[in-house]
Amino acid sequence: MIDSDETIRRTALWEAHRALGARMVPFGGFEMPVQYGDGILKEHDAVRHAAGLFDLSHMAQFELRGPGVGAWADTLTVNNVATIKPGVARYNIFCNEAGGAHDDVIFYRLDDDRWLLVVNAANAAKMWAHLQAHPGTGVTLTNRHGERALIAIQGPKSAAILGGFVDADIAAMKYYTCLETSVRGRPAIVARTGYTGEDGFEVFLDSEDATDLWDALLALAQPPLPCGLGARDVLRLEAGMPLYGHEMTEAIGPIQAQLHWAVKFTKPAFIGKDALAAQVAAGDFSRIVGLVLDGKVPARAGYPVLVDGQNVGEVRSGSLAPSLGKNIATALVPAAAASAGTRIGVEIRGTVHPATVVALPFYKRST
Amino acid sequence: MAQPAGLLYSKDHEWVKIEGDVATVGITDYAQASLGDIVYVELPRIGATLAQFGNIGVVESVKAVSDLFNPIGGEVVEINSELEADPALLNRDPFEAGWLYKVKLTDTGEQANLLSPDKYEALIAEA
Repeated sequence: MIDSDETIRRTALWEAHRALGARMVPFGGFEMPVQYGDGILKEHDAVRHAAGLFDLSHMAQFELRGPGVGAWADTLTVNNVATIKPGVARYNIFCNEAGGAHDDVIFYRLDDDRWLLVVNAANAAKMWAHLQAHPGTGVTLTNRHGERALIAIQGPKSAAILGGFVDADIAAMKYYTCLETSVRGRPAIVARTGYTGEDGFEVFLDSEDATDLWDALLALAQPPLPCGLGARDVLRLEAGMPLYGHEMTEAIGPIQAQLHWAVKFTKPAFIGKDALAAQVAAGDFSRIVGLVLDGKVPARAGYPVLVDGQNVGEVRSGSLAPSLGKNIATALVPAAAASAGTRIGVEIRGTVHPATVVALPFYKRST
Repeated sequence: MAQPAGLLYSKDHEWVKIEGDVATVGITDYAQASLGDIVYVELPRIGATLAQFGNIGVVESVKAVSDLFNPIGGEVVEINSELEADPALLNRDPFEAGWLYKVKLTDTGEQANLLSPDKYEALIAEA
């Protein structure tokens, strides 16, 4: 099961995962928990109704420093960077010249000159090379991948659970803000961000401090439930959030992924702008849609999608959605098949199963 | 943990309970625990003839599709229809209420290709 490749890395919390009975899998170059003993459904339920605890230390943390960061990053990404105020986080996408995506990321602006850039683990080496290949004036980069830890607490009880450990009023933080503070007496960055569709926080800290915070959270009278990458994927899919390699790839860019809101064509120039503008102008690009299946058979990534018996696309992600009690999926389909309400077929082991195109997200929290 | 006595086991983590010329088939506790929360089971049709160790269906957890292999050859005479509405029965009670289907045996000699409880226990201890 476990890749014997010696280059596979462990996060600072590896021992803690093993002690909790996690099933570990290789992911993004690290050996990560895919689920713990209670299973994905209970982990999902904890995040939707109480709180879940995640080790995301496999994600790459790049430190950006200098007066030139905003202007430099604006030329490499589709969303605005220089306009981010200190203490604010913003989602963004690095594109290639053809309008496909190198990665989707979050910029956290810590103060005027210091930023944290978080990229997907699987893209860490590619993204580091991409940044090195596009040096900026007044920009210093430091790759902290594997040296810094990231612990996420996600769910409606997150603020109450984490708040007692932080030297700041995190309940007063707005969504997509960040601050440098101390957590259990150690320096950390706390951000009100996440990838679950729930309220929650992400704590960036030194690897040597990770176990102390993790253990302290689990020692609470009402602790968060440790959650693995399996639950995280189901949660993000329900929330309509793209996963790189599925809804976005080097060939599927942000316009096709229905992330038009994040592409700022008002910026003077950025890599991929012309290609993305041409896509929008032409209008007939294939795109990511949500599917709800009629039946009980789950759709999975790679399954063919059919309209009137014709193979028109493929499933990009699929799972049971516990919040809906239905099987959901994303699929890449032609514009003509992308309207909500369109009836579509998913071929599963030789049989076509009916589904309906729906608007994303599948799940939206009530508060 | 000891495996239930009176059953035979396959290396693919199915169990077989033989009564006369009919065998009841299921997946082991080890299998259900490895799969995680089971959300869908695709069973063979009644009347289908299944070869020993043939791929005859799937068990799907929240995140993964796993092939189901038939541990002993025969004709399907009954399926556990409760699994359609409640696939989690496989997680809760894999050796009893979560049985999958019954086959009328083609060749009772195929039992010799299956593992005793002790040998299956040794197999999963190595995993």
